[in-house]
Amino acid sequence: MSYLEAKVPPIRELRRPETALAHGEFRCGGGPKKAVCAIMAQADRDFTQGSICPLLPALGIMTSLPQTVVLLHGAVGCGSCAVGNNVNVRAGNAARGRADLDALWLSTALNEDNVIFGGGEKLASALIEADAIYQPKVILAVSGCLPGVIGDDIDNVAAETQPKVKAKILPIHCEGFKSRFMATAYDVIYHALGRNLLPLESGPKDKNAINVMNVGSMGLADEKELARLLGELGLKANFFPVFASPDSFALATRARASISVCPTHDDYFLSHLWEKYGVPAIIRHMPIGIKNTSLWLTHLGEELNMAAQAQDLADKEEAKLNAALAPYKEFFAGKTAFVSAGEYRSLATGLLLRELGFKLLGIRSFHFDGFAEVELAKLDQGEEFIFNVANVQPFEEANLLARLRPDIFLGHWHGNSTAARLGIPAQVIYNSGYAYIGYQGAFDLARRLKRRLTNPAFYKRVGRFAKLPYRAEWYAADPFSHIRAQEAESPLTAQTQKANFAEARP
Amino acid sequence: MSGSFLERPRFSCSLGGALAAAGNIQNVAPILHAGPGCAGNFAWSNNGAAALAVTGPCLGLNVPATNIQEKEVVFGGLDRLREEILNAAKIIQSELYFVLTGCLPEVIGDDVESLVAEIAAQGLPLVMASAAGFKGDSFHGYEAVLKTLIAKVIKPARVKDDKLVNVFGVPPSLNPFWRGDLNGFKELLGLLGLSANVFFGPSQSFKGLTQAGKARKNIVVSSLYGLEAAELYQEKFEVDYVLAPYPIGAAAAERFLTVVGRALEIPRRKVKKAIEEAGQRHYDYLEPLVDVYNDMEAQRHVLIVGDVNYALALTDFFSQDLGWIPELTVITNPLSPEEETRVLKNHIDLGGLAPNRLIFESRLSYIAKAAKNVWGGPGLTYWDSKQPVFVAGSSLERALAAELSATHLSLTYPIANRAVLTRGYVGYSGGLRLTEDVVGAFIANR
Repeated sequence: MSYLEAKVPPIRELRRPETALAHGEFRCGGGPKKAVCAIMAQADRDFTQGSICPLLPALGIMTSLPQTVVLLHGAVGCGSCAVGNNVNVRAGNAARGRADLDALWLSTALNEDNVIFGGGEKLASALIEADAIYQPKVILAVSGCLPGVIGDDIDNVAAETQPKVKAKILPIHCEGFKSRFMATAYDVIYHALGRNLLPLESGPKDKNAINVMNVGSMGLADEKELARLLGELGLKANFFPVFASPDSFALATRARASISVCPTHDDYFLSHLWEKYGVPAIIRHMPIGIKNTSLWLTHLGEELNMAAQAQDLADKEEAKLNAALAPYKEFFAGKTAFVSAGEYRSLATGLLLRELGFKLLGIRSFHFDGFAEVELAKLDQGEEFIFNVANVQPFEEANLLARLRPDIFLGHWHGNSTAARLGIPAQVIYNSGYAYIGYQGAFDLARRLKRRLTNPAFYKRVGRFAKLPYRAEWYAADPFSHIRAQEAESPLTAQTQKANFAEARP
Repeated sequence: MSGSFLERPRFSCSLGGALAAAGNIQNVAPILHAGPGCAGNFAWSNNGAAALAVTGPCLGLNVPATNIQEKEVVFGGLDRLREEILNAAKIIQSELYFVLTGCLPEVIGDDVESLVAEIAAQGLPLVMASAAGFKGDSFHGYEAVLKTLIAKVIKPARVKDDKLVNVFGVPPSLNPFWRGDLNGFKELLGLLGLSANVFFGPSQSFKGLTQAGKARKNIVVSSLYGLEAAELYQEKFEVDYVLAPYPIGAAAAERFLTVVGRALEIPRRKVKKAIEEAGQRHYDYLEPLVDVYNDMEAQRHVLIVGDVNYALALTDFFSQDLGWIPELTVITNPLSPEEETRVLKNHIDLGGLAPNRLIFESRLSYIAKAAKNVWGGPGLTYWDSKQPVFVAGSSLERALAAELSATHLSLTYPIANRAVLTRGYVGYSGGLRLTEDVVGAFIANR
C-alpha cells in the first residue's frame, strides 16, 4: 500500500528504522562492509550543537516552486530561513530567464493568545487572504513545531478552507521535534505533491521522457549536464520537484521511467509513481564522480533495454574526461582530503576524490541509512578512512580536523567554517548554481579544487586568527566520546595519536 | 498592521534576536533549549539577511543546543538541558553560559529558571533569558538578553565614572550595520569626551560589560528597542536614560550631540565647539564631491523602507544632509497603534516629511501599492513624474525598484546582496560612508 493514503507521512525513524544519526569509527574501508555493520541506529549524543530540522531542506524545495505561496504556520521565526533560501531561488530563477523574482513566503506568526486558544482560525483566514492577494496556483500550509504541540490540525483546516480558496492547499508537516532526520523532509514534500498535484489517470506515455528527480542543491548547470547525457541516448529529461511548476507534475505520470539523483531522496515519490501510474523507478547511484556517473547511466540503460548504448556513451565520456583530468590528477596526487555533507553526497564525493588522486582521510555523513550501503561498500575497496555519522555537530569535526589536518576539506553549504577557522582550505560541495554532477561536474570540481589549493592564503590567514569555541582539553579527548552506545575503540596507535595531538590547535 | 499573516517577515523570532545578541558578546556561549532546527534556521536566515555575516565562534551550528525531540516534549526537557549544560561547560570555553529558551520548552512548561539557578549556585557562570518565538519578534529577544545582563551580569558600582555611558537600542544582525554603527556611536560620543559601553561586538570586552554599572547615563538610540532595558536599569542601578534618536549623517549627529550634551549637563560651549569642529572636518571631506554631485543633478526622489531605527534615520539623512525629497517612508515593524504613536512622538524631527508620506507597513505587496500611489501617474506630457527615484530599503525591494526605474541600495534588513564587516552609517563619518555608497550605487555604469 502507498504511504500517500495516510494523511500524515511516516517519519524516517518509522519508515527506515535502520537510519542512524550518531556514529564514529576510526577505521572504515580496507575490508568489506566492516563499518556498515557497526553503525547503530539508536546511538545518540549527550552533548549536541545546533542542527537543522526537516523544515529547512523542505523550504529549499518549497520556495523554489513557481506560482506557489509558502504559508508558514508557526512562530514568526520558524522558517525565517526562507530569506536565505531566497538567495538560491533568485539565482535559480535568473538562470532560467526570470530575473529579479523572489520566493513568496508568509508566516502566521503565532502569538501567545494563539498558543492558548489555538491557531487554526488564524491559519484559515491567512489561507483565504493569501489566495485573494497573490492568486497563486498552490498554497503550502506548513506546520512548524508550535502547531504540533498545541494541537492545531492543519489537515482539517486545509480541507475545510479549500472550498473558499481557488489555489490548491497542500498541508505540509514539518514539526521539527518529530523527526531527527532531515531526510524526512523529502518524504513530507513528496507526500503533499503526490497527494495533490498528480492526476487520477496518467494519460498516454511519452517513451522518450525520463523523470529526473533533482535536489535542492542542484543548479541549472547540473541539470544541463544530466539533460545532455540523456539527450545523447535520445531521451528527454524532465526535472522534478525543484523549480517545477505545479501544472508540470502531471507529466511525471506519463514518463517512461524515473531516475533518482540522490537515492535517499526519492523512493517515497518514485514508489508511488510506479505503483499507481506504472512508471518504473531507478534508484541506485548518485551521478557524482566518474565511476558513479557511468554506473548511473549504465543502470538507466539496463532498465530501458539500451545497455550497450549507455555503456558506449559512458566509455567515451570517461575516456575524454580522464584525458582532460590527467594534469589535475598529477597535481592532487598524495594530497589529503576530508568530506562532510549529506549522506549520499559525502560518500559519492569521497569516491570522486580518490578518482582524482586524493588520499581520503575521513567522511562525515549527516545520517546513514540502507540506501547508502551500496555507496559505502564502494569505498570499502580502498584505504582506511574515518567514518563519522553526525547531523553536523562541528565539535566532533573540529577535533578530527585538528588531528588530521587534511590539505582540503569539502563540506556542505554552511558546513565549512570549522575547517576554515582551523586554517584548512575548504571547498563547498552543496550549493546550487555550481557544477558538481556528471562528467562535467567532476571536471569542474577538479578545476575548482586546484584553484583552491593553488592559493590557500585566505584560509591560512583566517586560521591564524579565527576562533573556535572549544577548550584545549576537547582537542585531546576522543572525538566520539559524546556518542552514547558507541562501543568502537579508538584504533589510532599511540604514536599516531602523539603526532596528531602535537599538531592539534587549541 | 492588520491581517492574519506577515509577508516575508523582516525579522526572525525572539529566540533569533536573543541568539544574535548573546552570541555576539565576547566570550559568551549561548545554549539553546529549543527544537532541533532553530540554530540552523537562524544561520540560514543570516545568510540571506544579515549582509553575509552568518556565524561567530559560538554561533551558527556551533552553538550548543538541546535539539528537543518528541521524548522531551512528552516527558519534559530538563534532564536533557542539565546534561547539555554540564557537557557544554566541559567542551566549550566561555566566561558565561547563556541559556535561551525557545517555543517548545515554554509550551511544555520546563522550569528552566530553577534549573539554571541550581547549576549556577554550584559555581558555573550561567544565566538565562526566555525567548519563545511566540512571545515576540527578534527585537523582543534582543531586549530579553539586555534585561538578563542588567539583572544578573552587570555589577552594581558605588562610584560612577563621569565619562562613561551605556548605549542601548542597536540589535545585532537585525541591523546589518550594527558593528560599524556601534563603533560610530563610540566615535560620536568621544567627541564629547565620553566613552561608551556598547555590550555587543568585537569592540566590547566581557569584563567591560560586567562593569557597565559604573555608567553615569544610559543613551537609548531607538524609539522602540532598549527602552524596557533602560527602565530596568534605572530601577536597579538608579541611573536614568536619555532618548536620542538614531543619528545618520551630519545634521542628525549635531542633534544627537546636543541632546546628549544637555542630558549629561556638559557645558553648552563645549558641545557647540565639538559640533563646529566635527562639522568642519565632515565638510572638508565632502567638498570635493560638490562639483560632480551638482553637475549630475544627484538630487533624487526617495522611497525609504526599513525598521523604526533606520527608516527614520535615513529619512533624516536624505532630507537634511543630501537635500533629497523623501516621497514615501515605510516603517516595517508590526506595531500596535499605541506603539506607532510612541514612535512618532519620540522622534524629534521627521526631516520635513509630510505626515501622509509616512506609513507603517511590512507587506511588500502593500508597500508597492503605496509606491504606485506616489509614482503612478496619468502619464501626460506635462506631469511631475517624481523621477529619478532612489530606493533605500532591504533586498526585498529590488523588484519594486526595477518597476519604478529606480536605483536601489540595500540599507535595511534583510540584506542579501552586500557584504558588511566594519561599515556603519552612524554619525558624521557614517554619513560620509553613506554618501559614498548611495552615489556609488547610481553611478555604477558611469
